[in-house]
Amino acid sequence: MFTFRKALTTLLVMLALVAAPAMAQTPTDTLRPLVDALGQGGFDGAEKAIAALAATGDPAVLPIFEALTAGDLNVRKADKRVVLVREEGGADVAVDPLTGAVLGPVGRRDTDRLRVNNRLRSAIAAAVAGLSLRASDPQVRITSAESMFKAADPAMVPALAAAAADEENAAVRARLEQALAASVLRSDASDDEKIAAIGVVAARGDRDALSLLNNIASGTPGPVQQAAADAAAGIESSLAVWGAAQNVWYGVSLGSVLLLAAIGLAITFGVMGVINMAHGEMVMIGAYTTFVVQEIIRTSFPGLFDWSLAIALPLAFCVSGLVGIAIERSVIRWLYGRPLETLLATWGISLILQQAVRTAFGPSNREVGNPSWMSGSFEIGQLSITYGRLWIVVFSLCVFAALMLLMRYTPFGLQMRAVTQNRRMASVMGIRTPWVDAMTFGLGSGIAGIAGVALSQIDNVSPNLGQSYIIDSFMVVVFGGVGNLWGTLVGALTLGVVNKFLEPYAGAVLGKILVLVFIILFIQKRPRGLFALKGRAVEA
Amino acid sequence: MTLRHREAATSFAETATRAVAALPASVLRAGRVLGLAAGLAAAGLSAASAQDETIKVGVLHSLSGTMAISETTLKDVMLMLIEEQNKKGGLLGKKLEAVVVDPASDWPRFAELARKLLTEDKVAATFGCWTSVSRKSVLPVFEELNGILFYPVQYEGEESSKNIFYTGAAPNQQAIPAVDYLAAEGVERWVLAGTDYVYPRTTNKILEAYLKAQGVADEDIMINYTPFGHSDWQNIVADIKKFGSAGKKTAVVSTINGDANVPFYKELANQGIKATDIPVVAFSVGEEELAGLDTQPLLGHLAAWNYFMSVDTPENEEFIKTWQAFIKNDKRVTNDPMEAHVIGFNMWVAAVEKAGTTEPDAVIDAMIGVAVPNLSGGLSAMMPNHHITKPVLIGEIQGDGQFDVVWETSGLVVGDEWSDFLPDSKDLISDWRAPMKCGNFNVATGKCGGATQ
Amino acid sequence: MIARKLLGDGGVLLLVALLVLAAVLVPLANLSLPPDSPLHVSNTSVQLFGKYLAFAMLALSVDLVWGYCGILSLGHGAFFALGGYAMGMYLMRQIGDRGVYANPDLPDFMVFLNWQELPWYWYGFDMFWFAMLMAMVVPGLLAFVFGWFAFRSRVTGVYLSIITQAMTFALLLAFFRNDMGFGGNNGLTDFKDILGYNIQANTTRAALFAATALTLAGALLVCRFITRSKLGKVLVAIRDAESRTRFIGYRVEHYKLFVWTLSAVMAGIAGALYVPQVGIINPSEFAPANSIEAVIWVAVGGRGTLVGPVIGAFLVNWGKTTFTSVLPDFWLFALGGLFVAVTLFLPKGIVGLIAKLTRRRAEKPSPPVDTEAGVGTAADARAAAE
Repeated sequence: MFTFRKALTTLLVMLALVAAPAMAQTPTDTLRPLVDALGQGGFDGAEKAIAALAATGDPAVLPIFEALTAGDLNVRKADKRVVLVREEGGADVAVDPLTGAVLGPVGRRDTDRLRVNNRLRSAIAAAVAGLSLRASDPQVRITSAESMFKAADPAMVPALAAAAADEENAAVRARLEQALAASVLRSDASDDEKIAAIGVVAARGDRDALSLLNNIASGTPGPVQQAAADAAAGIESSLAVWGAAQNVWYGVSLGSVLLLAAIGLAITFGVMGVINMAHGEMVMIGAYTTFVVQEIIRTSFPGLFDWSLAIALPLAFCVSGLVGIAIERSVIRWLYGRPLETLLATWGISLILQQAVRTAFGPSNREVGNPSWMSGSFEIGQLSITYGRLWIVVFSLCVFAALMLLMRYTPFGLQMRAVTQNRRMASVMGIRTPWVDAMTFGLGSGIAGIAGVALSQIDNVSPNLGQSYIIDSFMVVVFGGVGNLWGTLVGALTLGVVNKFLEPYAGAVLGKILVLVFIILFIQKRPRGLFALKGRAVEA
Repeated sequence: MTLRHREAATSFAETATRAVAALPASVLRAGRVLGLAAGLAAAGLSAASAQDETIKVGVLHSLSGTMAISETTLKDVMLMLIEEQNKKGGLLGKKLEAVVVDPASDWPRFAELARKLLTEDKVAATFGCWTSVSRKSVLPVFEELNGILFYPVQYEGEESSKNIFYTGAAPNQQAIPAVDYLAAEGVERWVLAGTDYVYPRTTNKILEAYLKAQGVADEDIMINYTPFGHSDWQNIVADIKKFGSAGKKTAVVSTINGDANVPFYKELANQGIKATDIPVVAFSVGEEELAGLDTQPLLGHLAAWNYFMSVDTPENEEFIKTWQAFIKNDKRVTNDPMEAHVIGFNMWVAAVEKAGTTEPDAVIDAMIGVAVPNLSGGLSAMMPNHHITKPVLIGEIQGDGQFDVVWETSGLVVGDEWSDFLPDSKDLISDWRAPMKCGNFNVATGKCGGATQ
Repeated sequence: MIARKLLGDGGVLLLVALLVLAAVLVPLANLSLPPDSPLHVSNTSVQLFGKYLAFAMLALSVDLVWGYCGILSLGHGAFFALGGYAMGMYLMRQIGDRGVYANPDLPDFMVFLNWQELPWYWYGFDMFWFAMLMAMVVPGLLAFVFGWFAFRSRVTGVYLSIITQAMTFALLLAFFRNDMGFGGNNGLTDFKDILGYNIQANTTRAALFAATALTLAGALLVCRFITRSKLGKVLVAIRDAESRTRFIGYRVEHYKLFVWTLSAVMAGIAGALYVPQVGIINPSEFAPANSIEAVIWVAVGGRGTLVGPVIGAFLVNWGKTTFTSVLPDFWLFALGGLFVAVTLFLPKGIVGLIAKLTRRRAEKPSPPVDTEAGVGTAADARAAAE
């Protein structure tokens, strides 16, 4: 009962504050009961307290919200006071969140941490946005306007209208006007105002706008509801067009992942004819190299984190490449001319490598973080493109181009092609065929390693990583045509796009089955794949 | 050779290091045949103690293959629990000895090794399995040879065997409370996304029936299934986004299986779906799974479990300390199935002490009604249906890879093996006490259905 | 000399005799001797060896196409699993109303997923003869259709291997789908009876062991007949020089199709024998890794011989059983090492090794018959021809 009464008083105080903000002469004293109210009445109580704090318009509440989001606020059990707990001189002390004054030591079980759930997080975001509509950084203002758009709080109409009127930056003003329109839609404004607001919201044309309009459209029938429904339908039809483009992008992006996974195999299997079942493990080793690099960076050079992938790339290439060379020198070189037996030996090697990684790093997933330039997404029209995927597409094409150049324009590439086309003749011409073999296998493995660096960004880094790509990789190489890098490129992209266009109709599982059946039928039609090379001794 | 060696290695200290101790001899042997490096031989065989009276405990978890990722930890927990018990003086005056085998995520091999544990090693109880299919595979073996299996993972229910004790959650101890919580938070539209296998299918069937019973319309439920290890989530996440833009608060109920989760969450984060927009509540994502992820972008997504590492009780603090000391890594996390093994093991110990013997029938009878402390501050009891009582906790993912409990049931929930929301199972109950002793008693017909003894 | 003969043609007969003997003696030793007798065979061993025998038959079917016809199949596990599913469906129907929901028609997994009636493709599987027929017809038909397309289009070598892998992978994904009506990931399990006998009874198990041993013996005799016939010689000719054989006038694709389909039927039978002994059939039997492993059994034992696959299947599986319980954390090293070692040092498998040892002892040095060289020449010839 006591708490309830206290909450009530708090509410009254809050109302008084809203009514007369000028009265707030000792801000900390008036804020304190509001801050303490955060600890009362569970999430519901906290939600009200956040609204009350936000309504003060006092910038002093911003650090409180920050501390609350970070989980630094605690309720002292003894007097139900909300305090910050900080470590000072080896012991925990309670600190006043408003003044920063130390209130005395607290034990580990003397306080309860104030928890934040999604509802509170949204409330805080809206509150902070309301307080930072006039922040100096335009980016912050845009973020605030976006939060306000999602919150669509009718109470914010005057504040938004004022902020929009004063805003000088056109981009920010547009966002503010959209947020204003969203708030107007939820308010009790006249129908004409609301229909005008629908026009502003509909101009956004994105999913958030659609969501809001759909919500209005499901309300009580009337001209506003009708206008919202029409606008929503308009957005939906334009989104459907964008959807097709989006699907192509998804396909290209899946294709680039397949290309990365397969391109190393296109060398070891396609060019050298080794049925390399350990290919997936080379990818895995690359991913684990990334993990180790990031671990070292995290512990010793945290500033370099955004560079971690750039550092990991050459290392992964070297590590996987060296493992590849070791495998070639110790096992595969005895098996040339017996391609089907390379399958058995490399299968054994893949088991050993998997178990070795499992023993060294443990069986569970390892965390490989995304550098900031690989996180998030941007939009072209209504096409949403994630940076991670974009970089992987770019990266896979770069790897492909580099490989083509290497094969075509370097002496090593020339020797490699010579050896794979006619080993004996190449040997007669003075090419050290064993050296070329080892280097070629190392190159294929190294490229698998750098594929691992990229795949670590989107997939699990676990000992099973390689297994999940090996079958797809073989399909791509065989579909494209063994021994032809262009075939691998076209094959990977085709399979990616076909898969993504089947998925919406057939579902993910059936889509994949259909792609496999498609490959089987395709091979009947063109038994040597998309780009068949003639006269190669690769085929056995 | 190996058998003799195993019998010799009796005292617990050797048992814990059995894998290592057994290594030199076997590697030497293998080395001779395969030419493998035998550098490990230097470790030498430790002298086996002559104390031959031990109680053997089977540990049947995959240490290789696809499930090793989840199950290896449970093997380590079992080794730790057995070591702790031996420090306390063992059981019935005898030391416990772990018999660890690797079924390698291969389901028939689970049955083969279960048979071996029961007939050759004569284990008193077995702790193991993760997937439903592995449990289904060993179930006939345990029933035939009258063994005891403790199964520690949340599952789809619809099963109750005399010889199996289910210490993980049944759907009503996880899925339904989670949906209740979200509905209370204002969610009106539901995406049920799962991997295409029996657990998600059943759970989603139950949830669908439950949601419809709560008045949710058909068009407000979207069900989506993906294959195991699905890694390209771009358009599914986009579909979820699309489904979520219908103007009603939307949530995703995820029964996506282990491996596919990391790419799923990474895609969510990249496409900018925040928990404040569309929260995802998962039933198979715990602290171990999050250890492979940067959780900052996932802040606020939810999971429903019966235990979280962040639960602030003295029991849990003690357990985490012991575990991190045992595994010699102060960053290792704990999770719900681990707690299930702790509860199951303690229940078994209590039941054996109560029965005064490890004889399966006596222990199975003694198990019912045994109550031991769980790690979240309550007492979990074994019910007559061989399921246990548990609290249900809902946690939100935090930036440090832990969960913050945002809601919990006021009391403990009894595991309901036969769901009330499936038409054919709502009339079934299970009670393994005399005189009923039936796993699927039909209250409508008054008969014990099926052939279960 | 004797040893060599044993591994050759005489060895097949000896192996057949051994299998027949085992089919009689093992059940006897298991059922009639007291458990403490030194000659007693435990129930576990009966089941375990019954399983190995089923694997041996799968290995034999792989060897028939790979060792004798040069078709490396990475998808034989699919035929094995299909046969297994046919048997599994029969066993599911046999449960009848003893399932947990006491539904007389529908298996349990269909009941709790709200299936209303039995899908059409489950009809007939309550009859044993029909199920057994299907265990042969379904894999056979799939192989026939697959082979008819593939061999006619002259898909060979690695291309064929990879598309067989695609086939088994597609089936794996398909059977994982719960909508397919085969129990999804959980598969078919908790069987009760076979032909009215309790599947868990020791006598039933002994009988299943005997049946598997005799079937394997029969399969060995069939294979022996085929490989010794003119047909068998043509198959070897195809393996060693496909183009040349075609130019001589043989319809290569017909020969291949025949042996491929036969091999699939054999794999299907092996699967049908395997399922009642392990008590579960689930989509993971379709996993490409399983098919690759079957190939490895053949390689370890020695391909191109009929005794080799049987020895290889026994040895590798026995090794797996032992290592997974003795060295649970390290057995993959041992297994992986074994595969590498066998390919490097025993290119003709264990049988080849024994043959080589005995040949050396007999002091009759003769140049080793290198089939691979033959394959190489054939490939070159074909390449030249194009």
